[in-house]
Amino acid sequence: MNPIYENGLLQTRRELIFNTAKCLGGAALGSLMAPKVISATKPNPYGGLPGIPHFAPKAKRVIMLFNSGGPSHIDQFDFKPAMRDFHGEELPDSVRNGQRLTTMTSGQKSFPCVAPMFEFKRMGANGTWVSEILPKIGEIVDEITIIKSMHSEAINHDPAITYILTGTQQLGKPSFGSWVSYGLGSPNKNLPAYIVMISRGSGAANQALYSRLWSSGFLPSKHQGVNLRSGREPVLYLKNPDGVDRDLRRRMLDGISKINQEQFEEFGDPETQTRISQYEMAFRMQASVPELMDITSESKGIMEMYGKDSERPGSFARNCILARRMAERGVPFIHLFHRGWDHHGGLPGKIRNQCRDIDQPAAALIKDLKQRGMLDETLVICGGEFGRTIYSQGKLTKTNHGRDHHSRCFTTWVAGGGFKAGYEHGKTDDHSYNITKDPVHINDLNATLLNQLGIDHERLTYRFLGLDQRLTGVEGAKVIPQLTA
Amino acid sequence: MLSWRSLITVLLTGQLGGAEPLPDKVEFNRDIRPILSNNCFLCHGPDKGRRKGGLRLDLEAEAKKEVLVPGKIQESELWARITSIDPDERMPPAKAKKDLKPRQIALIKKWIEQGAKYEGHWAFNPPKQPTLPKVKTQWGINPIDRFILAKLEAEGLKPSPEAAKEILVRRVTFDLTGLPPTLAEVDAFINDKSPNAYEKVVDRLLASKAYAERMTLHWMDVARYGDSSVHHADGPRTMWPWRDWVINAYDTNKSFKEFTTEQLAGDLIPNATVDQKVATGFNRNHGTTDEGGLIVEEYRVEYVVDRVKTTGNVFLGLSVECAQCHSHKYDPISQKEYYKFFAFFNNNADSGKQTRGGNAPPMVNVISKHDLAKQNAAQAKLKAVENKLSERRKNSTADFTKWTTEAAKTVDEPAKEPSGLFAHITLDEFKDRKTTDSENKGNEAKWEGNGKTVSGKFGGAFRVEGNGFVNVKGIKPPEWNQEFSYGCWVKPDAGNANGALFSKMNEGNAYRGFDLWLQQGAPGAHIINKWQDNAVKVVGKEKVKAKQWSHVFVTYDGKGKAAGTKVYINGKLVAHNVEADGLNGTIQTPRDFRIGRRFNSAQANNIEIDDVRLYNRALTPSEVAALAGNNPIAPILAIAPGKRDKKQNATLFNHYLNNIDEEYQKLTAEKRGAEAELASIGKTKITSMVMGDRSQMRPTYLLERGHYEHPDKEETIQPGVPDFLPPMPKDAPSNRLGLAQWLTLPNHPLTARVAVNRYWSLLFGRGIVKSVSDFGTQGEWPSHPALLDWLALDFVRNNWNIKGSIKQIVMSATYRQSSRLTRELYLKDPGNVLLARGPRFRLQGEFVRDNALAVSGLLVDKVGGASVKPYQPPGLWNEVSLSGNVRFRQDTGEGLYRKSMYTYWKRSAPAPSMTIFDAPTREKCMVERPRTNTPLQALVTMNDPQFVEAARHLAERIMTEGGKTIQSRVQFGYRTVTARAPKPLAGKILASAFREELENFKKDPNKAKALLGVGDSKRNETLDAAEHAAWTIVASMLLNLDEVITRL
Repeated sequence: MNPIYENGLLQTRRELIFNTAKCLGGAALGSLMAPKVISATKPNPYGGLPGIPHFAPKAKRVIMLFNSGGPSHIDQFDFKPAMRDFHGEELPDSVRNGQRLTTMTSGQKSFPCVAPMFEFKRMGANGTWVSEILPKIGEIVDEITIIKSMHSEAINHDPAITYILTGTQQLGKPSFGSWVSYGLGSPNKNLPAYIVMISRGSGAANQALYSRLWSSGFLPSKHQGVNLRSGREPVLYLKNPDGVDRDLRRRMLDGISKINQEQFEEFGDPETQTRISQYEMAFRMQASVPELMDITSESKGIMEMYGKDSERPGSFARNCILARRMAERGVPFIHLFHRGWDHHGGLPGKIRNQCRDIDQPAAALIKDLKQRGMLDETLVICGGEFGRTIYSQGKLTKTNHGRDHHSRCFTTWVAGGGFKAGYEHGKTDDHSYNITKDPVHINDLNATLLNQLGIDHERLTYRFLGLDQRLTGVEGAKVIPQLTA
Repeated sequence: MLSWRSLITVLLTGQLGGAEPLPDKVEFNRDIRPILSNNCFLCHGPDKGRRKGGLRLDLEAEAKKEVLVPGKIQESELWARITSIDPDERMPPAKAKKDLKPRQIALIKKWIEQGAKYEGHWAFNPPKQPTLPKVKTQWGINPIDRFILAKLEAEGLKPSPEAAKEILVRRVTFDLTGLPPTLAEVDAFINDKSPNAYEKVVDRLLASKAYAERMTLHWMDVARYGDSSVHHADGPRTMWPWRDWVINAYDTNKSFKEFTTEQLAGDLIPNATVDQKVATGFNRNHGTTDEGGLIVEEYRVEYVVDRVKTTGNVFLGLSVECAQCHSHKYDPISQKEYYKFFAFFNNNADSGKQTRGGNAPPMVNVISKHDLAKQNAAQAKLKAVENKLSERRKNSTADFTKWTTEAAKTVDEPAKEPSGLFAHITLDEFKDRKTTDSENKGNEAKWEGNGKTVSGKFGGAFRVEGNGFVNVKGIKPPEWNQEFSYGCWVKPDAGNANGALFSKMNEGNAYRGFDLWLQQGAPGAHIINKWQDNAVKVVGKEKVKAKQWSHVFVTYDGKGKAAGTKVYINGKLVAHNVEADGLNGTIQTPRDFRIGRRFNSAQANNIEIDDVRLYNRALTPSEVAALAGNNPIAPILAIAPGKRDKKQNATLFNHYLNNIDEEYQKLTAEKRGAEAELASIGKTKITSMVMGDRSQMRPTYLLERGHYEHPDKEETIQPGVPDFLPPMPKDAPSNRLGLAQWLTLPNHPLTARVAVNRYWSLLFGRGIVKSVSDFGTQGEWPSHPALLDWLALDFVRNNWNIKGSIKQIVMSATYRQSSRLTRELYLKDPGNVLLARGPRFRLQGEFVRDNALAVSGLLVDKVGGASVKPYQPPGLWNEVSLSGNVRFRQDTGEGLYRKSMYTYWKRSAPAPSMTIFDAPTREKCMVERPRTNTPLQALVTMNDPQFVEAARHLAERIMTEGGKTIQSRVQFGYRTVTARAPKPLAGKILASAFREELENFKKDPNKAKALLGVGDSKRNETLDAAEHAAWTIVASMLLNLDEVITRL
């Protein structure tokens, strides 16, 4: 092999990557004509889109704590003392205002309002209402922005969760994490850029999830979320087969690599070089993932901070510790799903259990990131696909009731990454049914989150089916400046 | 930083380095339209709603009226705007986040200078027959090569030489069948020195089933095929009969015209066959939902939207769906035209709410090949018995005559009323809710509770409803050891009714007494001293029919045994089941006799009852028959033989055959058996979902913002096609069938081009139009427009012959070129757009796995049938499924080794070893997959048990078929996976890997054992374990070579 020739091919390979990225990015790249973009068309150092970040980022990564099933905003944050007064009374037509309901309750004869069956306390410097079932979150309320005016158009799980995580109810679009992987790339070449972890809730009622929620859609599949699982094989196919140890694997790879190199010399296809390096990365992942998952180096104090559940692999608490470890290793998008929030009946008991699952670990994650000086550069988002109705689904008794889906308003909280600390955004009416101030559409929040990552959501695009597709859809999502410091 | 003004100077004086030179002649479609479409049409294009300043740049006349002066840059406002330095003036405006590149601006300048000529979008004009371009070099096999060569010459490039035979045969075998060639096939091709050796290979491959499977696999992406329903619970469904239809269509080389027509509208073809209906499953493959809270209309509309999108993307290569909410931003499709197209699919009979438990209607019964064979056999058997029966009818005349003579002698008096009637409630009339027992007029019979009087078998009858019954006093039945008979006429609403028709029974005293009752529609009787130790209970094995009058009757011989208790339906004795058999105590009770229930329980409901009779003796069969009014034989027999009319003779003859003639009865029993067998095959019938239209047209309205809740009911929209495309044929029906006829018009500008371009992209890894599903104005300009037109016209002229078109492409010299890449070629054409070398790309995920199965000898080469569940890591379904309740159950045996296209496709959690290799989830139509190169792919081919097991079997082949020496075995293994001999270095590396690992495995036999234990299949125990393990390592290395995963 002539080294000059080789170098030439590699050089042109970089050109190719650049050119391909240009094609892929389409208009996202801007052009030489716009002065501010000139400096931005530098290749992205982390293998993301050239030109990104579009401007100085506030945050480097995202940890999304996704509560799947539609957690009740009323029983956690969006409480009004007036609710106690109209408890048991019919939902006034003036509040419902003819809006559509799911067919699970649209046939109900009566819509009695239910005040939360929990105590609420005013917490933090601003006296923010927080439910007794979230005591630890209550302690960190001064660190977070609580958005009470989130809204979506979808009223059932499948479309709603697809909507919030891919920007549209239509299937086939990339997930939030895939867009971030595509745009930002990753500083860590030994771990995937987008990692997903799933835990089951104690509240039962586990609604379905779909791999589309972390799929790369029409983006290249290297941007799909990699599901990190508890158990002996955290990443699918990570483990060498029985009888093959790491040394043997190394010897095999050395052999394969030499033969591939010979192949490259014969045909000159740069993809062969890429394959050689991908096999090397796979080999490194076989070490870096177990290292990531091995929490024996975590101190007793840390384990206690995240709670007893953290001893149990696969729990939400354990996943929170892992999320922090990934953040430390530079993974740009870390996505936790906690299932079990779909409380059509038996809500008081179930939501108490669900909150017990997440309260301490989520609060610990914020504290832990803060004490390590990482909260500023990490966005932590906690919420679900929609909220729940003020009225009871099924019979309201002294101690029991259910709530149906409600997407006209719900609550999501965000910490770090330049979001305001100790701030409540948006207001809803007394019935926590309609937004009365500062609505935030789910795509607005997504646009704002991208903004904190230094990404202009209108310029993070991919040409597919004739359109410059983007995460935030075509309906004019906007960044909400009031949310950020 | 460069100032804006100096940048323009740089640009206009051409000093900016690196830019591609401008063409001498600017072409609107190639050079200008993409710039305008991508940067300007959003606000100055077809969508009226978004249009700014009333300006349209997509229409030549409008643009020239306002902002374009041909030949005059300085007078053209467009030029002024795109070069303005005033942010308020500059176009595109900053907020559009679109910036024109210097070269684009230069192109526009040159275009205006050259006259600012517009052209219709190339893909919307019908293809024109091109003349073959003139070329200087002698090269090429068929016309395709002329087009390619002409362009290469223009670019100063030369085509590459033909690929080595080994490489070529592997390439074409993968491209046409998704499988590697066998060594025998490779050798046969190498040794075939005849001039048409290659064509023979191509013909063999095109004739194979594997060709049909390979084409089907691609179509499964396009048609968003899955084995589950996508939304919410993502429950199972059975659509593989549709998939098998596609295999068969490609196998028999159905023309693309029929292929299209049957899939879009097979159900509307006059006298549609089951197959043609199954074909329409194409548009039932989309995701459906079962979610509890869904609004049905929302999803019904969603399904229509999906069908419009899929049909538009696949057949027209247009993103029609963009016009759902507003007129298309780039292509001339107005929102109203969208809903015209939508109307073709809006008459769907399927509901928005479907099921999580299988197929939802409309669907058809499909019969599998296996069942078809069984069905044919059973039908033949039935036919044979039927023939014998009719033979017997013909041959039995003598026996019949003999019997009638004999029987006539034994005829009794004409049948008369049987004696012994002790209670008779006719239920004819109620007065003040009272009626009588005509045998004991003093006994009061009173109607209690709900119920109705209705017309009965004779006169009136009582309809039992709710808690209603008739209470009769004073009835005294015989004792347990006396003869006894009872019955009535009955007409239940349902065929499986339950409840007592009448009774005299005391539930409080262990059910002492008796009743006549229906058990799942079958009449039965309880005669009880003490349930259930001292009682008789029999239940007939036949049921009474719903909604018609039947006579039910029980006779009891007073002997306390089930054998002496007989059940009759309509005068015919029926076999019975015995549920209690032994009675020797009194059955008397003080409780009243009740019609419609026992005393307090076994309430009948929705059953009509008439003419209740009780006799104090066991009636004979003929007496019961007479009561049931169906003993027509005796009166006929009483007539003198010569005086019987034709009908009477026929009645007698049938009675004889069915009741007297033993052979006939034996044959009848056989016939029943054959019928039952046939019926049992029907029970395992498989369904497939199909398209169906409602008989009454559902009106279509424009949905404002595309929202199902906001139809604009001012205007009903009729099915139709966009104006910029040819009109529907005059005589075409305005339904899906008409749509198919329109799509396959010979002069349709899109359908044939889109189809041949798809075939091209399968074979070259890139379409002539790179954006295979977007031929609209945002799509890519074709690399070889004339070639595309030539292929499209040729396709249509040859009756849309798919195999023909594909053969032509793979026969070309262009396709056969070596894929070796030189630096010059790479710099000049990194994407291989010009095709100065052969195409080269990674195998798609399915082929990577199928290759491993094939070379190891594990592949089960079975075509079609239900999908299978090969290895996958545990827990993947459970992790996401609704309440965790759908579990993956891995197959055993051949299900582990089928082609990957048969892997069960659960769309919320599809097989990871496929998605890691870019297989789409198939929740939506996907015409072309991305092709990536990731570390996770390496983990699959190194560690997935499927691949480790395949390596073990490949090792077995290496040891048993690869000769005796290490050298020959390496040679064999390498050739098996690549078709080529190893280069010296590769051979050396593999041989020394074997030696080294052999030593290691010898030292540690447990490791060898562990490695050889991966996978379900048994290993050949006669092979030395350490050696086998070492060769398994070598085989695994082979399966991970770039050359193996790539098609060169």
